[in-house]
Amino acid sequence: MNYHILEKENLDGFIKKLAKKMKVCAPVAKGHNNFAFEEVTSAAEIALNYIPTILPPKKYFMPQREKMLDFDISEGKPKDTATLEAPETAIFGVHTCDLAGIQCLNMVFSERPRDYNYLLRKEKMFIIGLECMAYCDGSASCALVGNHFPNGGYDLFFTDLGEKFIIHVNTQKGEEFVESIGLPKATAADMAALDKAREAKKAAFQNEIGVDAKKLPEIFAKAMESKVWHDVGARCVSCGNCTNVCPTCYCFDMADNVNLDMKTGTRNRTWDSCQFETFAAVAGGENFREERAHRQRHRLYRKFKYPLDKFYRSFCTGCGRCTRTCMAKINLKDTLKALAAEHK
Amino acid sequence: MKKTTKPAAAPAKAPKAAAKPKVAFFDFASCEGCQLQITNLGELLLDVLGAIDVVEFREAISEKWDKDYDVVFIEGSIADHHAEERIKKIRARAKVLIAYGACATIGGVNGMKNSFELDEIRASVYGKDFKLFDSTKTKPVDQVVKVDYYIHGCPVYAPEILEVVKHALRGLPYTVPDNPVCAECKLNENVCMYERGLACLGPWTKAGCNSWCVNNGNICYGCRGEVSNPAKNANDVISKYNLKPELIKAKFDMYNKCKEGAK
Repeated sequence: MNYHILEKENLDGFIKKLAKKMKVCAPVAKGHNNFAFEEVTSAAEIALNYIPTILPPKKYFMPQREKMLDFDISEGKPKDTATLEAPETAIFGVHTCDLAGIQCLNMVFSERPRDYNYLLRKEKMFIIGLECMAYCDGSASCALVGNHFPNGGYDLFFTDLGEKFIIHVNTQKGEEFVESIGLPKATAADMAALDKAREAKKAAFQNEIGVDAKKLPEIFAKAMESKVWHDVGARCVSCGNCTNVCPTCYCFDMADNVNLDMKTGTRNRTWDSCQFETFAAVAGGENFREERAHRQRHRLYRKFKYPLDKFYRSFCTGCGRCTRTCMAKINLKDTLKALAAEHK
Repeated sequence: MKKTTKPAAAPAKAPKAAAKPKVAFFDFASCEGCQLQITNLGELLLDVLGAIDVVEFREAISEKWDKDYDVVFIEGSIADHHAEERIKKIRARAKVLIAYGACATIGGVNGMKNSFELDEIRASVYGKDFKLFDSTKTKPVDQVVKVDYYIHGCPVYAPEILEVVKHALRGLPYTVPDNPVCAECKLNENVCMYERGLACLGPWTKAGCNSWCVNNGNICYGCRGEVSNPAKNANDVISKYNLKPELIKAKFDMYNKCKEGAK
């Protein structure tokens, strides 16, 4: 067990030393109880007590808009050059729900054919987690999917012990940084304090929907024709907010952009959303998910059913972003409860 | 997928060095601000001018052209009989017609005229001799002649002007995004206007502007027109944010009133 201690008053020094080595991103208050991961250079800019950010940290692994290659067709044979901008980046203050989200995406993009842009960027990331000692708000359902406790996926992990942070060192990279700035090892008393804090969390975090998570695959297996989807579909605006803010949604669209010389250009990808009417439309005018109800159903099957079959893991991280951002008050916990009630 | 643009029936041929496409700009009922956007393209304008041959552009040059046009850019809405005749004549001489700016593409703010009885609004503007002044209900260009390409917006968004020009030069259709502005606004990680206590038309308005207004601290006014299948039931949105439905309707009518005149 490798734990170190950082006195809270030294957090600013920690961030500044880190910022000398690489770009540091952390949650920043944007007003109206909204937060976003942004580049910081001091601890004063960081919102340590934040609810999940507008966009999850996936934006650093797969940017909203990304250039894949430059091409040139001015000579007989087309030429292309793959491009990648991947600066060394530390992401500080990542909650356990978002750590889980990154773990999910790591699995998806490691599958063949591998997504090298994602994987090369991932190598440049230095991830520093931050434990939630209480719920961010009522939209979260992290305990349902077991993401309220840390489960790897970070280099360092901070837990608040009042006057100080206890830091779990999880990787070589993390070890080297902690050693380089000379953080003291945690004492037996610190470890006892950590255990006590974790014990208190067990009471504070409870299954948010009163339905055993193990039951969800079975519920979803039989929910294909549920009325719940029609209720949700009738309300949906199809704005795509729920998927854009989801830590495990990764669908994208790819398009070529030709310059005015009509010879050179770039290939770019942009986040896409299964909630858009055009998403499942194909040549000939057929649309596989023309109804909002079917698109919403698809979204939740991509969280609670298909990834369990394929990766043995829920792709809902319980962060609650889809509920918070929904224009039409579509609430994940309520939807799950309604499906469970129907199943009985 | 519903396409809002169609490929040009007879697309302009790929430009040869010696024969760049002849392009003209015309304006109808508008503030001419979209022409200004084109002249404001800056260095990009030089690149555009390298690919086309501008033969008429009232705001920028004084030359006229008496032959056919490869591409015409139409700004403004059609708001009287004279304008209807004029746009038909221009269309007859143009291989490709691009409607640009909200006035041309959806009627824009000129459409607010259609909220009143025509003679009533004419009298209010021109006084008792209003009959001396020709006026019709406001129409976007495509309610009079065929439009090949649309560049939405009030004013038009520079990167989209370039995209459409490039598509037109290649004879390819340009598809206006049919997702709401929220789609792009979220990618830009703006704090939602509704969270700030402001009613914004982003959830119902076509994207493609990269949420330009919201990025700069303003709400979406709906200047790009509604998505083709907007959410019909906004009760949850209205109740979540405690909105007044009449207020939302009035906001829509600012740019989108001409929708009612579409066939």
